[in-house]
Amino acid sequence: MGAWGFVFLAYGIVWCAILIYWLTLKRRLRRAETELAQLRASQESQKNVQT
Amino acid sequence: MAEISKTSVKSKGYLGALALIGVLLGLYWGLLHAPPDAYQGEVQRIMYLHIPSILTAYLSFFLVFVGSCLYLWKREKRDDILAYSAAEIGVLFTALTIIEGSIWGKPTWGVWWTWDARLTLTAILLLIFAGYLMLRSLTEDENRAASAAAVLGIIGFLDIPLIHMSVYWWRTLHQPPSILRPDKAPWDNVHPAMLTALAINFVAFVLLYFYLLSRRFRLGEISEEIKARLLNRDH
Repeated sequence: MGAWGFVFLAYGIVWCAILIYWLTLKRRLRRAETELAQLRASQESQKNVQT
Repeated sequence: MAEISKTSVKSKGYLGALALIGVLLGLYWGLLHAPPDAYQGEVQRIMYLHIPSILTAYLSFFLVFVGSCLYLWKREKRDDILAYSAAEIGVLFTALTIIEGSIWGKPTWGVWWTWDARLTLTAILLLIFAGYLMLRSLTEDENRAASAAAVLGIIGFLDIPLIHMSVYWWRTLHQPPSILRPDKAPWDNVHPAMLTALAINFVAFVLLYFYLLSRRFRLGEISEEIKARLLNRDH
């Protein structure tokens, strides 16, 4: 492998890994926000039923 | 409250956009604008990833250290979330530093890996914080896990001065620092165009780091609220 091959290998791995982490984090965050919203809604409706 | 949340989302959007601009500028300066090294040639361009990655990892573990100390002192959940979030991103940047170093090592040293003091201590740092993350995910009692992880986070941070000084204390294959050295200013030691490329990449990595940390911290906050609400519902 030539010098540029090593450079592109390093840059490719780093930016792919960061992109994958960012996408995974985004998905985890979206899932957690949905779960929290559902939980809040169900607790609010339970409270309304009780009152 | 909704206004604060909107402002926070907006500022995180700006931070993400700034990080993206920084990354693109860093790629341009690192790959196209900076001159090749007189001895190593083009392969030295890996330095514009390698140094910002490890400095970002150090910053991350410093935040783990601060968050862990504050958590053990005040027992506030926010400090634990900060430490946990910073540890996760710190592990990513340390792993990337080792991978970049390995790719840089092959054409310059002739090997992908060697049991050099600095490399070995960096691998130990990665293992300590990988252990930190495992401890958090495998221990059922969350408060115990947070306390034990805080102690491990503080101990793990102490590895960083050892990594930095290892090139002075032991005979190593890894070169001594070019930027953070006590006897010379960086501009006396590194070509201005290379220093500029390094500075741009460092700023880009820090911006990206704080953007990722803000997102990971928010995830930690939401997870805590979910746990608290589930606990309330069950009781």
